[in-house]
Amino acid sequence: MVKVVDGRLVEHPILKFNRGKEVTIYFNGKPIKAYEGETVAAALYASGVRIFSRSFRWHRPRGFFCAIGKCSACMMEVDGIPNVRTCKVYVRDGMQIKTQSGFPNAEKDFFGVMDKLIDRIFPHGSQYTKFNNKIFREMLISRLRSFAGFGNAPKVEFSGNADYEEIECDVLVIGGGPAGMSAAINAGKYGAKVLLIDENPNLGGQLVKQTHRFFGSAKHRAGTRGIKIAKILEEELRKIPNVDIRLETKAFGIYGKIVGAVEKSKLLRIIPKKIVVVTGAYERTLIFENNDLPGVYGAGGVQTLMNVYGIKPGNRGLIVGSGNVGLILSYQLLQAGVEVAAIVEAMPRIGGYFVHAAKVRRLGVPIYVRHTIIRAIGKDHVRGAVIAQLDDKWRPIPGSEKKIDCDFICVAVGLSPTHELLYQAGCKMKFVPELGGLVPLRTKFNETSVEGIYVAGDVAGIEEATSAIMNGRIAGIHAVIALGLGGEMAKKELKESLRDLEEFRAGPFGERIICGIEKCILAKEVEI
Amino acid sequence: MRVAIIGAGIAGLATAYFLAKEGIKVEVFEQKFLLHGASGRNSGGITAQFDDEELIKLAIRNEKLYDKLQSEIGFNFLLRKDGYLKLANSIEELGRIELQRKFGLKVKIMEAEEVRNIFEDINTEAFKFASFYPKGAIVFPWAVIWGLAKGCKDLGVKIYDFTKVEIVAEDGKVKGVKSGEFHEADVVVNAAGAWSKEINDKLGIKEEKRIIREEICVTESIKPYIDPYILHASEGLFLSQSMRGEIVGGIVGKSDGGMTSSLDFLIRYAKLVTRLVPKLKGLAVLRQWAGIYDETLDGKPKMCFSEIKGLYQLNGFGRKGMSIGLACAEIASKEILKFTQEE
Repeated sequence: MVKVVDGRLVEHPILKFNRGKEVTIYFNGKPIKAYEGETVAAALYASGVRIFSRSFRWHRPRGFFCAIGKCSACMMEVDGIPNVRTCKVYVRDGMQIKTQSGFPNAEKDFFGVMDKLIDRIFPHGSQYTKFNNKIFREMLISRLRSFAGFGNAPKVEFSGNADYEEIECDVLVIGGGPAGMSAAINAGKYGAKVLLIDENPNLGGQLVKQTHRFFGSAKHRAGTRGIKIAKILEEELRKIPNVDIRLETKAFGIYGKIVGAVEKSKLLRIIPKKIVVVTGAYERTLIFENNDLPGVYGAGGVQTLMNVYGIKPGNRGLIVGSGNVGLILSYQLLQAGVEVAAIVEAMPRIGGYFVHAAKVRRLGVPIYVRHTIIRAIGKDHVRGAVIAQLDDKWRPIPGSEKKIDCDFICVAVGLSPTHELLYQAGCKMKFVPELGGLVPLRTKFNETSVEGIYVAGDVAGIEEATSAIMNGRIAGIHAVIALGLGGEMAKKELKESLRDLEEFRAGPFGERIICGIEKCILAKEVEI
Repeated sequence: MRVAIIGAGIAGLATAYFLAKEGIKVEVFEQKFLLHGASGRNSGGITAQFDDEELIKLAIRNEKLYDKLQSEIGFNFLLRKDGYLKLANSIEELGRIELQRKFGLKVKIMEAEEVRNIFEDINTEAFKFASFYPKGAIVFPWAVIWGLAKGCKDLGVKIYDFTKVEIVAEDGKVKGVKSGEFHEADVVVNAAGAWSKEINDKLGIKEEKRIIREEICVTESIKPYIDPYILHASEGLFLSQSMRGEIVGGIVGKSDGGMTSSLDFLIRYAKLVTRLVPKLKGLAVLRQWAGIYDETLDGKPKMCFSEIKGLYQLNGFGRKGMSIGLACAEIASKEILKFTQEE
């Protein structure tokens, strides 16, 4: 049995949580216990805080959601600085945290009634089309202004240093997940000067949440847990002296031959010869009533909370989606002592591997296929859900509704590539459903339509970690060959790596991917 | 009588609106989408603090037209008159204050310290003098274009977007415009902003003009607390806070170039803006973009018929389009009406 103290997992069958010194932070003036090494959002969650902010127009509650600084639900004022994403900031003793929206605060917000009223009294677009008389118009404009804006104006001057560094390198790798580490290793080992940047404080990308063992052949690290694979790759990477690793570094733009990035509070102006974009994927969400309630999460948010910070996400969860992510997450929840009420799946059969499904079924979790979630129940956060059966045309069958008791809902319905940087860099993109959404056109060596920009991993098409590693290898080696490095050895390895990938995808699960890739392969081929 | 207008920016749409009100049949042609040009990319500052009699008069008329058109069309441009604050390192760089006062502008000259009464967080060491024009304003440029387009459509004006046209002229006289299909017109208005030179070049009309690229960025939103539009004339820095609370700012353009954004702009802007308002340090930039505009050598707009009969030039607004565009369009529409009556 997993021991839980103050909302935190103390003993876990696989993971070990090393918590730092106990500190006290203040949330809207109220003292809250936290441990060094925890983010503010995680510490608040552990202490039972569920509402982190309010939505702008309807004042609907917003809570912990993505855990990786991508959504804006956890923005608060921290020590006088507004709009701080509290899931990315670590606790410090005495830290003053205030919610920014709602009156008097986000948790108890009198403006919560707006949810029911505002569409009646001030329908969307009223600011343009109503109050056209000069006096009313000017009154409206000045009133509107007092409602606008998130977060107070800064009360103190930001204390961070604003440093600046210019870096020239042969290969810039944007993203330190499995594909990125693999690209950096394979470019670095042939002597290229590599810079690898990642926005997170640790390498490994999504592997750090994957406590399960991988499948496939031994050559591809099957039987090893995801977290262990991340460690192995990182060790290999750190052994190469010509690879510079910058963590907590976010690339924000590819401006022709220059890449802009921020390393903590330092601005980087990077001038790379080749760029490998390995930015991974976003979690998709699903449309159902109340899907914005605190307690409706993506699988990633729950995994971060539970596996990285060791915080119990809730007592009883409903999982939507029976792909591998949904199945593995269910198992991880059970491991952490959290009940799984059910798994629902819209398709007529389970999406993930049979072994995973069998494992959760053995532990007594019902899997409802041809079912979907209709709505989440609750006012401030999730207190239940309604599911229903679907007919052949994907419509809910009246009368088949079933109420599920749960205090959180996990939406694990797949991923979409994080394609923004590629789009901005001018790469030709295409919508390919088999690959999860908008993906770049690429050669078989993973070079996009913009010369010198490569892709690998989920951003090139949603697949999984093993093929991400193989694709990173192809991109990394091709980049060094294009730079005139590596000689015959690199060319030989490039051919071998292409063959490896082909073999790996030969199985039944690769069929869909191959079909998707055929749709976005660039005819232009650079023969080596 | 038919009028074809090239360019669905503030000048083109306002001209179309004024003409349609007089019962003229008008068609507007936009090469891309509405807001693609400078009217959709500027920062919405409106002032009359100019150094030329004609420009000051146009700007004063323009202020009145904003009020009139919003009520008439029934669409709010989210215009707020919180003043225009011009900063400079020397009193000369503030421009011709006496001239401005002569035409009735209540411009207030201040020393740096006094400016803190208008905006407390300003760093008084970053400039020496300021001229404050209380009737200066900030407008949401998109709403201006949406509103004018609505006004035009209500009056039966056809607006064609994604329609790049060429002017058809014969024997020194315009016949209409063509984009695949031919649209007959007695008058063609070149209100294509930064693209007006390209149109004139094709017709062999020579003009001295510069195409200037300017970059802007927007931060995340915070509670509105910067009221006036601020322009640091010596450094070319400008900023204001939008209705949604974002800090919108940029650097006055100097050179030409395309519409791509640059990292160098962002770095320079960040340095300048945090020197002027130190508390903006640490605020995240959400978006950046670039736009282009056309500027004449004397800085005054072109609004006149040109050597080809029936071709009206309405361009060369430089950075002043939002401040004088409506007034210029009003003059243009009157001259076009006169032309049609004479014909």
